[in-house]
Amino acid sequence: MDLGPGSSFPDLDLPDHTGRQRRLSELAGGDPLCLLTSRGWWCPKEQRYLREVARVQDEFEVAYARIVVVSIDPPEVQAAFRAGLGARFTFLSDAERRWLPRLGLAESTDTLHDPYRPAGFTLFPDLAVHRAYNGYWFWGRATMEELRQDMRAITRQIRSDWEVPAG
Amino acid sequence: MRPFAYLVFDGERLTADAHAPGRRFRVDERCLGKPRAAGAYAHVCALPDRDAALRFDEPEVQQVRRDALQHWIPLLGADLVCLSTFVLDASRYGGAVTVARRPDRFADDPFARLFPGTVVETGIFAEVPPPPGPVIERYAGAPWPGGRFAG
Repeated sequence: MDLGPGSSFPDLDLPDHTGRQRRLSELAGGDPLCLLTSRGWWCPKEQRYLREVARVQDEFEVAYARIVVVSIDPPEVQAAFRAGLGARFTFLSDAERRWLPRLGLAESTDTLHDPYRPAGFTLFPDLAVHRAYNGYWFWGRATMEELRQDMRAITRQIRSDWEVPAG
Repeated sequence: MRPFAYLVFDGERLTADAHAPGRRFRVDERCLGKPRAAGAYAHVCALPDRDAALRFDEPEVQQVRRDALQHWIPLLGADLVCLSTFVLDASRYGGAVTVARRPDRFADDPFARLFPGTVVETGIFAEVPPPPGPVIERYAGAPWPGGRFAG
C-alpha cells in the first residue's frame, strides 16, 4: 500500500483507548492530523518519543490540529500508558492486527510482539498524506519541529483565512 | 445550521425547550440530536444564577477541558453518553453537562470544580462520540467540543 506523500491514508476503523469504535476521518474532524504508529508501551523508544509528543500536545490543543497513535496494545493497556504519559490525544488499538498487514507497517524484527514499526504521517483532514516518516531508527522519526512545520503547511492550505481577512 | 442548541436549567430540571423558565445555555447541538439515550443521568455543573459565569479563556476553564480529555472521558468509558460545555455568548462559560448511563462516577467530574453539580435523570440526550483531543479551543464560538471549521 502506498502511504507516501499525496496518497490517501486508509480510514482506519479501530477501537480507541476506552474501547469505543472510532474512524480516523471522524477523529480528524476537519483538522490536520498527526498519525503515529507505535510499537507499544514496552518499548523504551516509544516511551521516550511519546513523552515528547505529549509535550507538544499543548500546541496542538490550541492550534486546531489532532494527534492519533496506533499500536497493537489492547485498549486497557493503551489507557494506562496514555495516562502515564499525561496524553490527551487518542490511541487506537489494532490488537487484532486487522490493519497492520494491510498497511504494510509490520515490525518484522520483533517476533515476540508482532507490533507496528514506528512511522509517522502528517495528514490533511481528508486523510491525504502530506509527509511520511520512517521511524525504524529513532532518528528517522519526525522531530517536534518537523511536526510544527507540517501542521503549518497543511493549515496554510486548508484555512481560507490564513491570510488575515481585510478588515 | 448553527453549531449549538439550547438547553434550559432551573436548578433542578433540564429541558430542551428554549422557552421554558430557567437559565438558557448553548450546548453542542449533537447532544440534543437523535436517537436519544433513555434512562440516562446528566451531571449539570452550572447554576441558575445569571451571574454565574467565567471567561472561556480563564486558565481554570482551559484546565478542566484538559482534565476531561485526559481522565474524565476514559474514566466513564462506555457509560459516557455525551458531554458539552455551556456557552453564554462568544466569550463566556456558564458550566458543563456530562451525561452517562450511570451516575456512579459523578463525584469525580472535573467540571464540578468550577460550578457545583446537580444530578438529573433524563432522556433528552443523544450519544455523541467523545472528542478525540487534544484540541481544547472552540470552533467559531461553538460550545466545546462541538463545531468544526467549514471546508
